Amino acid sequence: MSDTAAITTDEVKQRIRELLADLFGSDRSVSDVPDTVSLREAGLPSTALVSLLVAMEDAFGFEWDDDVEPEVLRSIESLAGHVVALRG
Amino acid sequence: MSAAEALEQLDLQYPEELPRVTTREGVELYYESRGEGPALTLLNNFFITSPLWRAFTQDLVRDFRVVSYDLANHGQSSKLDKEPTWEEHAADLIGLLDALGIESTYLVATSASTQLARDVALAHPDRVKGLVLAGPVFGLTGMRRHRQLNRAWLLTLKNHGMAALYGHIYPEVISGEMNEEGGTPGFLGFREAFLAMSTPEELANGLALVQEGDTSPELLSRITAPTVIVLGDDDILLTPSRGHELAKLFANGRCEIMTNAGHVPFLDDPETFQSIVRRFVEETEAHV
Repeated sequence: MSDTAAITTDEVKQRIRELLADLFGSDRSVSDVPDTVSLREAGLPSTALVSLLVAMEDAFGFEWDDDVEPEVLRSIESLAGHVVALRG
Repeated sequence: MSAAEALEQLDLQYPEELPRVTTREGVELYYESRGEGPALTLLNNFFITSPLWRAFTQDLVRDFRVVSYDLANHGQSSKLDKEPTWEEHAADLIGLLDALGIESTYLVATSASTQLARDVALAHPDRVKGLVLAGPVFGLTGMRRHRQLNRAWLLTLKNHGMAALYGHIYPEVISGEMNEEGGTPGFLGFREAFLAMSTPEELANGLALVQEGDTSPELLSRITAPTVIVLGDDDILLTPSRGHELAKLFANGRCEIMTNAGHVPFLDDPETFQSIVRRFVEETEAHV
């Protein structure tokens, strides 16, 4: 995926879901979690989130910032919204 | 196991059935007991809950009975109207040992809970076989530095909330090496764990309690149980040379330095931490 390509929220959500399937394929409760449900409540170990954040940096061509609000990391939808906002 | 591997295995979930024991009237503590052998009882500081220990005690469980529990008013233990005093936390620990049939135990404490370990070793020396003090909060002449840190953390929590508190604490207690290695994803991922383990009220209560209790270093010299201080060489409170000086205050103490580790050294290097604990327990058991 090119850094400059226009990208929709739905496309980002789909890509995040693919990353989750790659990382936690055996645990479908995580990879199939609905867009707005808390990843933590869906069973994603708190620090396994680290792997997803690193994978998102590679997939979407950006770097996370320490100041990002906790709410951004809550769900697939909030993560996707952050990526789309960064991409303008 | 490296720090990154341990953190990846960090599972803070509680089981569906919550094992609890009654320790005082109106107080039930959630606990986990794994393995068999000499008992090691893990004392939470006010930021962590019992499940966190699983990822950092996997080696010890093979040969020891490893017991962890949630402090009263935290995690899955009883919620009380009033934060327990240090004496009540000590009574809870003794009640837990009684309920689990543990006559005597090694206490493994981290940061603020090293004060609880000290108090229990002084009040109940027959129940304590040895102390492992990871990142102790004691100074050579007092505890002002630790208390000032906690007051600053409490102010940040009250004025700016949990995420800001985490941002305040992280660079102070996490080693420079772990901070650089984890980068921003590591910082953000561990923040999720931090936020999952406590409510603001639980942390405010704990940070307030830490301001209380006797700060005299003379207390340490009255502890008869063998003691090992496990100190990261990047600990915010003590330099390695001061760690060795602190160990001399104990009747039977020594200090082990962990390279490139911070105030919570088992986070940085779970393998080395557990090997230090294992060696200490095996040596102490050999002398019993």
